[in-house]
Amino acid sequence: MDLVDLIIEKRFLGQEFLTWLWWKSEERGGGVELPGQGDILVVFEKHMLLEYGEGEANEKLICRGLQTELQEARTGLTMGKKLEQARVRLAQNDHEWNVTLTATLMEFRSVRLPKTGDTEQGGNNPEELEGMVLERIFLFEELVRLVNDLFRLFLTIRVSDQWHDELLKIRAWVKRTSAT
Amino acid sequence: MGFLKGTAGFVRFAIEGELPKPFWDFVAERVTAFSFKDIDDTYDEFSIGWVSIHNMFDSQFNFASYANGDYVTLALRIDERKVSPAILKKFVDKEEERIKKEKQIPKISRTMRTEIKERIRVELMRRAIPLPAVYELYWNVADSTLIFFSTSSKAHTLLEDLFKETFGLTLIQQIPYNTAEHLLDEAGTTHLARISPAIFV
Repeated sequence: MDLVDLIIEKRFLGQEFLTWLWWKSEERGGGVELPGQGDILVVFEKHMLLEYGEGEANEKLICRGLQTELQEARTGLTMGKKLEQARVRLAQNDHEWNVTLTATLMEFRSVRLPKTGDTEQGGNNPEELEGMVLERIFLFEELVRLVNDLFRLFLTIRVSDQWHDELLKIRAWVKRTSAT
Repeated sequence: MGFLKGTAGFVRFAIEGELPKPFWDFVAERVTAFSFKDIDDTYDEFSIGWVSIHNMFDSQFNFASYANGDYVTLALRIDERKVSPAILKKFVDKEEERIKKEKQIPKISRTMRTEIKERIRVELMRRAIPLPAVYELYWNVADSTLIFFSTSSKAHTLLEDLFKETFGLTLIQQIPYNTAEHLLDEAGTTHLARISPAIFV
């Protein structure tokens, strides 16, 4: 199957991942345990885009707000809308990233890297410049690794027998949180 | 967009194909061969090539500035002359009026109109200043992955073509499904191909 067909046919995979991650992050108040690494912080915030239907029948629902509980988005889920974009805060050890993840193409948008001395002050000499570039590459790679680790966690369950139970828990969460 | 400072937006690519050896000599030779050529002083309409991530005017890569540790860092620069349709229409109309008066004719024929349009387009194109766009990337050589700092699909296509031409290697954009194929084992991937969308309500 070529890439264009994959994007269309398997679009649900990214959308399910984001929805699962939202549920997972709220299950224990923001902590998600990664095998072998302990807890990382995953918080959904500020900005979310949900979609429903294809082509001309496509509907979009954008939810924004600083301290929002994302009530409209939760209601959207009960109407069968799918999570297409979400602003997520991720933290591990002393590093914290902000990223808007898109479901269909898995783009990383509006990425804010953790602040470190090396990324803030690039000097002019070649060694300092190289140090700054490598520090930023390291932080981008760490972000990709974290997202991939979370995605792997989801996938492992998604293709296993555990998915049935996981799906029941997510349905209960959708029902509960949209009603509050 | 944001590789070196500020907020960044990017997509990931996997790189397919065998890396020639010695790798860094190959990179040096190919990057120079496909470096950006300025078109400010020519009449060319389009130019695409590699420049340094630190300076869009540096296409010489002194001190191998494309090498950062085990990563290849490059910027894709595209300069393009463009004429807006409104400007083209204005000057074509003006020229048609001029010719009608000069030749004392009431109407311009279709053939003549086509000829005028093409002539004016070329003239305006020559006067247009090339519009630059720069997109940064880094290539993780050990993992054969590439991060491209733009979410524009037009830029992705240009990158895929130039990368193939420069290095003879194919870029495959990493969307959830093919990322999943890299993350799961064989049994998992087989199962993945069979799953259908879940319903959360």
